[in-house]
Amino acid sequence: MPEGTFCNKQPVNTEEDLKALLGDKGGAQYYEEMKHLDVDVPALAATLEKTCKSRTRTWLEICAHCGMCADSCFLYRVSDRDPKQVPAYKIQSTLGEIVKKKGNVTNEFMRHCVDVAWSQCTCCNRCGMYCPHGIDMGVMFSYLRGLLYSQGFVPWEMKIGSGMHRVYNAQMDVTEEDWVDTCEWMADEYGEEWPGLEIPVDKEDADIMYTLNAREPKHYPEDLAEAAILFHLAGENWTVPSQGWEQTSLAMFAGDWAACKQQVETVYAAIERLRPKRVVGTECGHAHRATVIEGPYWAGRPDGLPPAPYIHYVEWLAEALRTGKIKIDPAKKIKEPCTLQDSCNYVRNHGLANITREIMSYIAEDFREMAPNREHNYCCGGGGGFNGIGKYRHQRNEALKTKRDQILATGCKLVIAPCHNCWDAIRDLEEEYEIGIRWSFLKPLVMKMAIIPDHLKPQDDDE
Amino acid sequence: MIGFLTGPMMLISLAIFFVGLAFRAVMYVRGLNWQLERVAYKPHLALGMKGALHSIRRWLIPGGTYSWRAQPFMAAAFFLFHIGGVLVPLFLLGHQVLLKQALGFGLPAMPSIVADVLTVLAIIGGVMLALRRIALTEVRILTTVYDWFILAVSVAPFVSGLIARMHWGNYDFWITAHILTGELLLIIAPFTKLSHIVLFFMSRGQLGMDYSIKRGGMKRTFAFPW
Repeated sequence: MPEGTFCNKQPVNTEEDLKALLGDKGGAQYYEEMKHLDVDVPALAATLEKTCKSRTRTWLEICAHCGMCADSCFLYRVSDRDPKQVPAYKIQSTLGEIVKKKGNVTNEFMRHCVDVAWSQCTCCNRCGMYCPHGIDMGVMFSYLRGLLYSQGFVPWEMKIGSGMHRVYNAQMDVTEEDWVDTCEWMADEYGEEWPGLEIPVDKEDADIMYTLNAREPKHYPEDLAEAAILFHLAGENWTVPSQGWEQTSLAMFAGDWAACKQQVETVYAAIERLRPKRVVGTECGHAHRATVIEGPYWAGRPDGLPPAPYIHYVEWLAEALRTGKIKIDPAKKIKEPCTLQDSCNYVRNHGLANITREIMSYIAEDFREMAPNREHNYCCGGGGGFNGIGKYRHQRNEALKTKRDQILATGCKLVIAPCHNCWDAIRDLEEEYEIGIRWSFLKPLVMKMAIIPDHLKPQDDDE
Repeated sequence: MIGFLTGPMMLISLAIFFVGLAFRAVMYVRGLNWQLERVAYKPHLALGMKGALHSIRRWLIPGGTYSWRAQPFMAAAFFLFHIGGVLVPLFLLGHQVLLKQALGFGLPAMPSIVADVLTVLAIIGGVMLALRRIALTEVRILTTVYDWFILAVSVAPFVSGLIARMHWGNYDFWITAHILTGELLLIIAPFTKLSHIVLFFMSRGQLGMDYSIKRGGMKRTFAFPW
């Protein structure tokens, strides 16, 4: 059977198809159908011809097979140093074979590639830092995911995720109406405690346009309220767009490049429509990667930059604390030892290590580094979509051991994780291994320790 | 025979080596694509070049990167092998005499004792690389017959050259073996993994540009901490 009902080469483009796919619990039928999905060899060969150019081919060719990448990979380290987890081996035995055979591979081989691409690599890019030739296997795995996606070989959740972006322009089923309602609801809900609190939608020419992760309006809208309160405290002239507010891209994890482009263009269109001076994104790593780092290229922007300066939440927060827009009550600073999770996506891959440490210097009295840290930090264990794939839950839980041990070594009970993926992974590792830690984004912490100017406090009626 | 090998054949080998590797380098750059790699090379060329040079320089310094420091055995093997591997062929007195005969000019020559020491160290480095391939499971799983071939071709001119120089065994045999294996290396370099002689610089430079232009170069106070 070439194309299945659920598992096929067609992207999910309609709400109806998306709901049907979601109805296939756990992807039982989906994965069954994948066993019979044909490989379209001419199409795969044509894609390779068009997209596998000198950088990738050189990487595959000159790899000296020296194995220096082995120890850099946390998945190799947590799997009892299984040589099959050596990054060079993983990429050579998957993408390397596909390229060598010019796409002439079997269904079974493609399914093997799916397992390797989504359960043995989180695209954290750490191995690329340890290779003398500068071979970035994370980049190649991302490329491999794109090839697999184009052939319909993609984990069930990833197909759903990219389908969500195609249907809703968001990673979850949050419509424009849901979103705008949530903004109003949160402004109302917190309005009494914070007089004058607003979540202005579609305000033109504001200083800041804020973009976020669909999980926030969908599952924890208080995060949006916290963002609003901190902007309010800092006296920012800010807004959110009614369309183009979703900054994340599960399509990037899926390798669905067309959906990546579609998604990021909604954000850029909002920037061009509302003309903010700059854009601030939420505490999310891959959203920053997708919209700020990779997005300009998907959208075909030759300068590689978004249409307006686009900063991560930690950059805005560091600036607000540095310039005194938000002042911290010294008595309320974090007293207990606390540590910080470096997100691969904006630390290794966007250089913000100093920024998060600057924040820690303002808010924590006993900040302790994990080892290794900064650019050399390990993935949380759930990056690149790993957190979300049920089929690989066991492998993901094993992978969490790296972060667990790093955290334990700091002796801290509080982990600050300004990234959704890291936050989830650390929550799950506590659930799985019960090491007695707490974890937090920055927003709720800073909110609790900020000094509230009198004019922003609720006024008593009698006075 | 020796006359032919050290005359026309040497020139042919050198020509294939230099023209071939130059061709590989040019083709590498021509094959780069800002949209496929998602790196805006041209608009940020100055920043990119800075990152490229930094990336190359750090890796050419023994202990210059986290990776070298984390794996001292490999680092020692690598530098012993490559320092001799680059300097001895270029600056050996005997090579310069041949070059002068053939082309009328030569490079400065290093003292023989330095060449001898570097040669021995390079052979030790080569043996260390071979030992890693045998002893470490993470290297063994990657190792193919092709890797052994490349290592053998690279070490052979040093071993045969040293034996000839020391006049161990039959000089004529070993010096011929030395010239043949050396020329073999020159001729196959552009077509094999030995092309890393130039592609190392291309690939390292490209990743340096990637990190400088796209992955945070504008945000980091210093260049990427390799």
